[in-house]
Amino acid sequence: MSDWRERADASLDWLVEATAVQRIAVSSMALVFAVLVGAVLVFVSGFVADCPDPFILLPGLGYGCYNPVEVYATMVGGAFGSFAALGRTLQEMTLLLFTGLSVAVAFRAGLFNIGTQGQMVLGALAAALTVLSLGEVVPENALGTLIVIPAGVVVGAFVGGIWGMIPGLMKAYADAHEVITTIMLNFVAMGIAFWLVQNHVGNLETDSVQTHTVPEVARLPATIDGSRFSLYALVGALVAAVGIYFLYTRTVLGYELRTSGVQEAAAEYGGVNAKRNIVTSMTLSGALGGVAGAIYVTMVQYRWQDGIPPLGFDGIAVSILAGNNPLGVIPAALLFGGMKSGSVAIDLSLGVPNELVEVLRGLIILFIAMPELFRMIGKRAGYGGEPVATDGGERDGKSAGGEVKPEPDGDGADRSARDGSDGGEGR
Amino acid sequence: MDGSAETPEPGVGSERATPWGGEEPPAVHLEGITKRFPGVVANDDVDFTVDRGTIHALVGENGAGKTTLMNVLYGLYEPTEGTVWIDGEARTFSDPADAMAVGIGMIHQHFMLVDTMSVAENVVLGDEPKKWGGLATDTARAVEETRELAERYGFDIDPTERIEEISVGEQQRVEILKTLYRGAEILILDEPTAVLTPQEVEVLFEVLEGLIAEGKTIIFITHKLGEALRAADEISVLRDGRLVGTVPAGEATEERLASMMVGRDVILEIEKPPSTRGSALLRVDDLVVEDDRGVTAVDGVGFAVHTGEIFGIAGVDGNGQTELVEAITGLRPVESGTITFDGLEVTGTPRRRRIEAGMAYIAEDRQKRSLVMEYDLRRNGLLGCQRLPAFSDGWRIDWGRTDAYVEDVITEYDVRPPNAAAIARSLSGGNQQKFIVGREFERDPSLVVAAQPTRGVDIGSIEFIHDRLLELRSDGKAILLVSSKLDEVSQLSDRLAVMHDGEVVAVVDPESVTEEELGLLMAGERPTGLDTEEARTERTETPRGGGGGGR
Repeated sequence: MSDWRERADASLDWLVEATAVQRIAVSSMALVFAVLVGAVLVFVSGFVADCPDPFILLPGLGYGCYNPVEVYATMVGGAFGSFAALGRTLQEMTLLLFTGLSVAVAFRAGLFNIGTQGQMVLGALAAALTVLSLGEVVPENALGTLIVIPAGVVVGAFVGGIWGMIPGLMKAYADAHEVITTIMLNFVAMGIAFWLVQNHVGNLETDSVQTHTVPEVARLPATIDGSRFSLYALVGALVAAVGIYFLYTRTVLGYELRTSGVQEAAAEYGGVNAKRNIVTSMTLSGALGGVAGAIYVTMVQYRWQDGIPPLGFDGIAVSILAGNNPLGVIPAALLFGGMKSGSVAIDLSLGVPNELVEVLRGLIILFIAMPELFRMIGKRAGYGGEPVATDGGERDGKSAGGEVKPEPDGDGADRSARDGSDGGEGR
Repeated sequence: MDGSAETPEPGVGSERATPWGGEEPPAVHLEGITKRFPGVVANDDVDFTVDRGTIHALVGENGAGKTTLMNVLYGLYEPTEGTVWIDGEARTFSDPADAMAVGIGMIHQHFMLVDTMSVAENVVLGDEPKKWGGLATDTARAVEETRELAERYGFDIDPTERIEEISVGEQQRVEILKTLYRGAEILILDEPTAVLTPQEVEVLFEVLEGLIAEGKTIIFITHKLGEALRAADEISVLRDGRLVGTVPAGEATEERLASMMVGRDVILEIEKPPSTRGSALLRVDDLVVEDDRGVTAVDGVGFAVHTGEIFGIAGVDGNGQTELVEAITGLRPVESGTITFDGLEVTGTPRRRRIEAGMAYIAEDRQKRSLVMEYDLRRNGLLGCQRLPAFSDGWRIDWGRTDAYVEDVITEYDVRPPNAAAIARSLSGGNQQKFIVGREFERDPSLVVAAQPTRGVDIGSIEFIHDRLLELRSDGKAILLVSSKLDEVSQLSDRLAVMHDGEVVAVVDPESVTEEELGLLMAGERPTGLDTEEARTERTETPRGGGGGGR
């Protein structure tokens, strides 16, 4: 009993103290294991499926339909195997970068923005309407594009920002938890957008709920044939990632934003208007969601159409996988983008059901996220680092700052708190 | 000194079987306990013995290893080395349930009670009397059994009341009943008095004596020496994970225990170096402040704090000190009246301006205000300083200078562990406070507002913080010291204001005022013939309008 516990203690210490290189190595190992487990799963599932041309016959078991090697090869090939595939991957990655950053910005500031999807939907609509109206007046050349697209992005960011500001205001001044309000506002955003497009601003000549298609001048030029990926958008996303990284590590504003979200009372002590900063963080987060929407319209869909893919929700997973580090969002978005285009390829070329492909993707995310998750838990519980206060640190009952963060107890350093039972607990 | 280990006698006709060999084995004997955590030795070869039917106090500074040692005894940790003997038998516990089975119960500082359930339900929780073949809890029997138990030990408690309706002291007794219900013979209490009022402490000690009379054995952890002397039969002192010694309470003094705890002589009396009082730096006039509920908490307070002096504010907690301090430091709006700092009115200016003007602040609630618990010390070192020219240009943080500053604070103020990457939460209370004090003082402030600067801090750090405050005073800084520890404010302050119900009752000379007079003032009464400041200024030359207390 104590043996496994000591080993668990030691592992958590190691994880918390691991260097960046070690962490990347751990994640890579996790990826290998995820593929192995997934391969077994695919292989076994093949025996209960029906197919015209099984690839293997095992005596006593019957025909196996799916070849795991082929499945994974198709996934990788579909993601990176050709220029067109790479283009589709990068296209997806660009969008996920923006939504992932949107979530990470809020996370870094101690706020959970689950509303990126709604912010993106409204930002996309605002951007679509902007470029549609501007597209009629600007010259149809590169100069026109240079005017229309930035305008669309700015308006998208503005509207997304407003939609993020609302839960920020509710959090700061009415004590409404942002998880609840952002989730609810997602539905409101989708409802508003649907209603507007269906009844007022959409293309009323079609039955489907969509706007008119934006003119050529309002489209980001495709960089790679066979996909709609535009390098300009990717560069913009990368600049945003680096900028946000610097914001939070090097600037006073970033420090104050983060402190306000993490521990409001301490921020006030430090001479910061914590409430205003909570609103600022949420607005910034929402603006990035809005930009994602604008890029979606100008790079991928060329119009606003009902049923925008759940990029905002994927952004949550991207951000968590990245440990909420703005730079980590880059590889995380690439992985997600690659898996997305890879699974489309499996779906198209192999008979493997889409649900099974989703399971494979889920396994990869689960395995890669797990070490980071344990790292976060270990850090919270006080593992790693130099000697721990063995006496439990400060125990002044009333001064535990626990109510500030959604976290069970303020007494993190005390190892006994983890076992937090009393002697008489008979289970 | 190497503890009070009984001289081992060779067992009759065989090798030594037990470490004592006498007739009656002690209730608890910890032999050579060492507990290591990665990177730290929490207990180092500790021998610890408690006889049946006695009260034993375990004292030590924060981080000395008291709690770890007791966690070993009650099965939460397995010792790295060493043996636990209970009633003469060697035991190994793999979890607290094992320890409970041989009669060891622990009462934690933070109670583990279900607020919405009754006393009786809490007492039997997890071990309920059943009815209908085990399908339901027999509440009537639970109440009856709790009542019997309470009566047997003389606890005044109603088993049917809900936890949220009873006082903290009563909740503690429920915790004790819980362990007794499970058949505990040895009770461990972790800092039982920390959450109690002085009256409740007395009741607790009576309860403990009642338990001893019934043959129970009690160990309690504390860092309040007076209480250890008052309640215990024997006192063991831990320092840096080692047992310094065990002394009978009758032979111990506070000074001796304190020096055992910190490993050197501690001067409990404070010697104030001479200082010259200068001009008034902070002036508060007719200040009215409301608390969070909108009730007037500070009602027309006025005083001035001069350079080169410590101006103390004494009073029972909750008489407006918190609101007063927050108004002065810029964390709470002022209803009426003015605050003047360094010749400028700052009544409505934001806190940032006041920091820039040289106001340092040690907040009363350090885990909520003065530290971001999740940040490392490096980031905490920036808190409040982030817009000062020495740390940033208002936009980009100068991490190089911040790191140098934090390193400096850590060395100068002896913060342990000396590691700027340590998370604030992982530090003990005393080290957290030393870091805060260092951060605020090294910024070279002109005014220091120190609210409860030594609350929950161990003795060694208290002495250190006091010395630093006196140093600042000698350097000609103005210090506003708010503390509910009467000896602290009266020993450190040059002038002492007593607050009651939002008003300054009087400003007195701490040298000449008696403790009885202070007690009366704190209760809101004015003893006759009191030598207050107003009386003195009237007696001497014409008043210059400085420092008038009250109204």
